[in-house]
Amino acid sequence: MSPFEIGLTSFGAMVVMVYLGFWVPFALMLSSFVGVWVIKGSPILAGKLLALAASETISSYFFGVVPLFIMMGFIVSVTGMGRDAFDVANHMFRRVRGGLGFGTVGANAIFAAITGISIASAAVFTRIAVPEMRRHGYSKRFSVGVVAGSSVLGMLIPPSLLLILYGLLTEQSVGDLFIAGVLPGLLLAFVFCLGIFLVALFKPKLIGEGITDPYDDADALTTQEVLAKGLPIAALIGLVLGGIYGGFFTPIEAGAIGCSGAIIIGLLRRALTLKDFWEVLTDTGLITAAISFLIIAAQMYSRMLALSGVPAGFGNFVATAEIGYWGVILAYVLLVILMGTILDSSSIMLILVPLMLPVLALLQVDLIWFGIITIIAVEIGLLTPPFGISVFVIKSSLDDPSITLGDIFYGAAPFAVLMLVVLGLVLAFPQLATALL
Amino acid sequence: PPVAAEEISATVVAGHPPVFRWVKHVSQTFIPAVNAALEGSDYSISWSEQYGGSLAKVGDELEATEEGLAEIGLVSSLFDPAKLAVQNVTYFTPFVSSDSTVVAEWMDKLQANDADMKASWEENGLEYLGGATGIDDYLLMTNFPVESISDLDGKKIGAPGPAVNWLKGTGAVGVSGNLTTYYNEIKTGVYDGVIVFASAAVPGKLYEVAPHVTRIGFGAQYAGGIAANKDWYDALPPMVQKALKGAAITNRIAYHKDLDATVGKFLNIMEENGATVTQVDEAFRKEWADGMDNVAKIWAEKLDADGVGGSRVLKSYMDTMRDAGATPVRNWDQE
Amino acid sequence: MTDFHADSGQAFLPPWFQGIRRIADVMTLVLNVIGTLLILAVMVLVNADVIGRVAFNTPVSGVPEIVSMSIVAIVFLQVAQAFRKGRLTRTDAVLDYIQKRAPRLRSLLEFIFTLAAIALIWQLFAASEPLFVKAWVRGTYEGTVGDFTAPIWPVKLIILIGCAALLVQLVLHAITSLFALTSKKGTSL
Ligand code: NA
Ligand code: NA
Repeated sequence: MSPFEIGLTSFGAMVVMVYLGFWVPFALMLSSFVGVWVIKGSPILAGKLLALAASETISSYFFGVVPLFIMMGFIVSVTGMGRDAFDVANHMFRRVRGGLGFGTVGANAIFAAITGISIASAAVFTRIAVPEMRRHGYSKRFSVGVVAGSSVLGMLIPPSLLLILYGLLTEQSVGDLFIAGVLPGLLLAFVFCLGIFLVALFKPKLIGEGITDPYDDADALTTQEVLAKGLPIAALIGLVLGGIYGGFFTPIEAGAIGCSGAIIIGLLRRALTLKDFWEVLTDTGLITAAISFLIIAAQMYSRMLALSGVPAGFGNFVATAEIGYWGVILAYVLLVILMGTILDSSSIMLILVPLMLPVLALLQVDLIWFGIITIIAVEIGLLTPPFGISVFVIKSSLDDPSITLGDIFYGAAPFAVLMLVVLGLVLAFPQLATALL
Repeated sequence: PPVAAEEISATVVAGHPPVFRWVKHVSQTFIPAVNAALEGSDYSISWSEQYGGSLAKVGDELEATEEGLAEIGLVSSLFDPAKLAVQNVTYFTPFVSSDSTVVAEWMDKLQANDADMKASWEENGLEYLGGATGIDDYLLMTNFPVESISDLDGKKIGAPGPAVNWLKGTGAVGVSGNLTTYYNEIKTGVYDGVIVFASAAVPGKLYEVAPHVTRIGFGAQYAGGIAANKDWYDALPPMVQKALKGAAITNRIAYHKDLDATVGKFLNIMEENGATVTQVDEAFRKEWADGMDNVAKIWAEKLDADGVGGSRVLKSYMDTMRDAGATPVRNWDQE
Repeated sequence: MTDFHADSGQAFLPPWFQGIRRIADVMTLVLNVIGTLLILAVMVLVNADVIGRVAFNTPVSGVPEIVSMSIVAIVFLQVAQAFRKGRLTRTDAVLDYIQKRAPRLRSLLEFIFTLAAIALIWQLFAASEPLFVKAWVRGTYEGTVGDFTAPIWPVKLIILIGCAALLVQLVLHAITSLFALTSKKGTSL
């Protein structure tokens, strides 16, 4: 067998193992171990690849702050700030069916402005939004689906670690990329809300059985209540955003500062006990371990695939096929989405973007616009089976074992489709990305 | 009858993607040069090029090559300062020479001739092929004009790890930073400036947020080179070994020619985009260098204590550069 | 859903095995707690760096290096506990289907899966051991001389400890599924 065939075979084996119920990280590890063994002809080398990936993959400052972003969210949740924020959102959207869905999307868009990573958004809003939506009669699948869908805003609305990576790969200004991400991010949030609104109008059962009646004005909060509930979270957001854009700390450091801020607000509200805090810490650790272990395994797998030459082969095919401007762009987008089913976001970008650059130069493609296209297409992969990081994060952050991985993938699917719609819009109207520049 | 050609497989690894000049040249100069040297011989190499973190991240190329996952690595000594300690001598001796072509050429010679330099590659299971990656003269880019060193007082300057040492004694606060985030950090005010080289500053459009470009003359640097897994290399036929080392020289020359041609252009681009480029005088440079701790000495003594000839390498490098015509602002080895 | 992981009623397990398991679980928990404290330490450290830089013009040296090493330690200190608590991702649709129709087949599948995981983590452990030895013998460090340096070997050691702890939990899990497979009441797991 050629390395190319080995790569394809190991991919098939991995998918079967995942569906049979083998732990996803072990399925990735096994297919990469056997794959490298066969490609390089040495089990020792295959073992070395596992060991190097284990010690290198997450060893970075960027990764180091992931648990802090998750912890900030959990403290927000355990101190009741999250619930209060939702009460406010509920109040604002009380005349709209699916109001909490709007609230989740809106709150995620705001949180996106203070986090650079989608997995933090997914972990945080699983804790804040899912229990609230379940309490208000929303269905399992919708509750987790809207969290999965809106978690992608974390990477599109600046700051965004993926946009930083893209800027590095293509020598584009990260500042320009951040600005270019704003409109598509807001558009995506709007399209999500529109989708929820239309479904609530025409197929309310899809959202939940118990919420068919809109909240009436009897439920309305007084202005004082809105302020009391809204101010703490607003203060936290103010601290983080103000700190980042006021030049006091970096988006990476924001996780740690936000944590301290959340702790202080929790203590001031007398809503954070030592026991709560310890539970938050332990939980943060377990989720960080589960997710990072998965990311390590995914990195082993993508290194095996790189050695097999499969991604480069497909990339070369797209880059060299003479199919014209739109042919190249559409084939690329399709390839990114396909690879998104099995690879993590940064691996896809690292493999495909450098391959495409020479072709893009020939076609005189606007690299800022192309970056936004890339991020949206890559982030669709967060939601698609069998390997969807956002979905996995939600599963490991959930307290409710009755919600299966399958439920989350089902729930997220409509949002993946809405992302496709936005992707189509940005493809058709590049101004969406470039207008603010 | 003609002997059937033997095909050797070689995986080449680099942590940076090929948009970086040093990686681009491995792909476009080094590999074709090896192929050309082997043309018509009994040997050929089938290459697997793994760049941009597909097999190893920046700073992990050494280990991937040492362990045999790749046969050839573009190894960055800058990002592996513990394992390739002596190779980092240039980063501890600023103000020596701003000519990256010269620094790279002599550093490559030292890798072949200096016992400690050679030992350091061998200890890591590597054979150094050559192809030094020189980095053009580091610049100080700030969002405020720098007319005297006192202007730096209390300012926060982002710099790559070893260059944080260059700021000690200036009154500036050195913050260990990362090229990828400089733009935003300056824009929002986390940093007031950065220490960076021109060929990275232009693609990152740093001149937009830090339009005051001061050529302090920190000097050109050696960031690493091309190395092969030693066991693999030793088992190669002599003519293939020769082809690899020859191609590494070709690579070094082509890379630095390319680099020199673009650096001047990059400074012009910055000026065209509204930046002011100023060159400091000898007195300024001397005041800066004299105000610094002698980090070279601290570094050399630490290596001496670890049983590596740090002081000897320091002297050897400084002698070599002085012989090559450089006039160091401060003779780090003679204090 | 059937829970093969800890903390679910598993009366079919003999007392001697439950005893061993309790000891292993305490050790796993200790690692978990150390990892948890490390997260707290990272938070404090980054805060100190920011406050030091903004208020006193004295950033803390080496924060990026410490954070990047800590995250690896945090993950490997907690991965055994994450497995024990059933946090490692898996899809359960097929497993649930099999559980309803052929519970013993489910146990067999679980046993085979766990054996495969044991083999993999053993590989990871064996290949990581030389990396620890190298870091120890050569005294490799992160950081820059003159500014901040920290040895790498503690992290490489924690990777080994974490793999070992995960191995112990996996072996216990394999034995549990074997008991379930052979138990007369295997169906009532
Ligand atoms: Na964001
Ligand atoms: Na996916």
